[in-house]
Amino acid sequence: MKVRVDPQRCQGHTLCAMNAPTMFELDEVDGHSSAVSEDVPAGQEEQVAEAAHSCPEQAISLF
Amino acid sequence: MSDEDAPAGEPADDERKQDRYYFDRHTPEYRHRFEEVTREMQETCPIAWSDSYGGHWVAAGNREVFELARSAEYLSNDNDLRGERRGYKGITIPTPERVGGVRGGFLEMDPPEQRYYRQALNPYLSPAAVVRWIPLVDEMVRACLDERIETGRIDFVDDLVNIVPAVLTLAMLGFPLKHWDIYCEPAHAVIYTPPGSPDAPRLAELHKAMGMDLASQFFEIKQHPRPGLVNALINLRIDGEPQPDIELLGTIGLLIGGGFDTTTALTAHALEWLSEHPDERERLSRERDTLLDAATEEFLRYYCPAPGDARTFTADCAIAGTRFKEGERVWLSWAMANRDPAVFADPNSIDLARKGNRHNSFGLGIHRCIGSNIARMVFKRMLTQVLDRMPDFRCDPAGAVHYDTIGVINGMRQLPAEFTPGPRRGAGLAETLEALQRTCDDQGLAEPVTAHRAAGKVGG
Repeated sequence: MKVRVDPQRCQGHTLCAMNAPTMFELDEVDGHSSAVSEDVPAGQEEQVAEAAHSCPEQAISLF
Repeated sequence: MSDEDAPAGEPADDERKQDRYYFDRHTPEYRHRFEEVTREMQETCPIAWSDSYGGHWVAAGNREVFELARSAEYLSNDNDLRGERRGYKGITIPTPERVGGVRGGFLEMDPPEQRYYRQALNPYLSPAAVVRWIPLVDEMVRACLDERIETGRIDFVDDLVNIVPAVLTLAMLGFPLKHWDIYCEPAHAVIYTPPGSPDAPRLAELHKAMGMDLASQFFEIKQHPRPGLVNALINLRIDGEPQPDIELLGTIGLLIGGGFDTTTALTAHALEWLSEHPDERERLSRERDTLLDAATEEFLRYYCPAPGDARTFTADCAIAGTRFKEGERVWLSWAMANRDPAVFADPNSIDLARKGNRHNSFGLGIHRCIGSNIARMVFKRMLTQVLDRMPDFRCDPAGAVHYDTIGVINGMRQLPAEFTPGPRRGAGLAETLEALQRTCDDQGLAEPVTAHRAAGKVGG
């Protein structure tokens, strides 16, 4: 599984980091998110899927 | 575009506006029938034309609100009070009488101007910035609870959830903490007091006192800079130019309005619900490490403190299956979108562990609530300390007072409760705020996170 945050869509709601804290990094200045790595490590899939599902802006894609 | 020139009332408009619903969110009836109105609109007209307040669109469905809110290229938040641009009327329907020539800060601006304001304030409000304040918030909550803990009685609104968000907002602005009570009552009462109320003259006086303190703090910081959101606004330059005082004062008003009544509304409602559901309260307290985040989002979804915003269309466009014309206004109902069964199973029930809770309570798109990180943090710190120190609290339903209408904020005025008394742990509120003022000043906590990363250290 791979994950990506669309920086144009992300508005810094932070739900992703709440659901999968090790997989998403929030910018110190504006709280916008980026994936720590594109590859989702084994065992993290469920949390990352929940993060994607919870994103109010639907900015997270899994592929 | 052939129907663009058609006068109002021509078939083109009738066709565009065939889904109609008379929507008046300012009536007590809307509050009482909220779930029913939401269901009716979502089932029959998720985007409807309403003839209320001069006529405007209402978006009630989740998908419709989502698509509209993120169509920034066709939507304006601008409140053009002096007719200098396109005459748009900002985010409130109807236009409030009290505006008095000040627009509502960057929430009533469009990019690029709006973006400059947010960029100036973000480093004070990001998750990394907000976490620095936790020790001070805990101390404020501790002092508020200590004021009541020995008596076994508290009014959660008056004695806790009005105070902490107010004090923290002032601290972040760079205003004196002890001035919270100059701001607190007028900031809340302006929302829940209807025009013509017998209490209106007294509130007008309180409002005047608040405005005077706000202006005097602002000009003092201008002359003698001290860290905080206000200083960031004063230093903001767009194309090399400082921004007009009137816009900066409007923005400070927005930060106070956004910082005070919303978190108060959320926390009061959550406490009331937990009192009515003691098993859930016990579960939340016990499982807080895994449940508190989800429960916070669920209270946000369900109670949606700020239930919506208006926008103005900047061009003829078709969004979510409806054709709109330039200059028309639309009410985006975050609160109704949060109850759409297409996205939220059993939407009118609270499920503390709800999954996939992509609620709209902080808005969507480029105007996402800039204080969302503070709101969550302050809510969680107030709630958990109440759960720890007053675990058996029972709210008195006869004494609870909700706002009569939920057109602006879904709030509460009173929430009295009883609990088993306990021992104090420290100083009272006034003394605590004096100590916290020194903490703020000595540690530079109101600086942006880019200048000051360390969390506040309290006591010792």
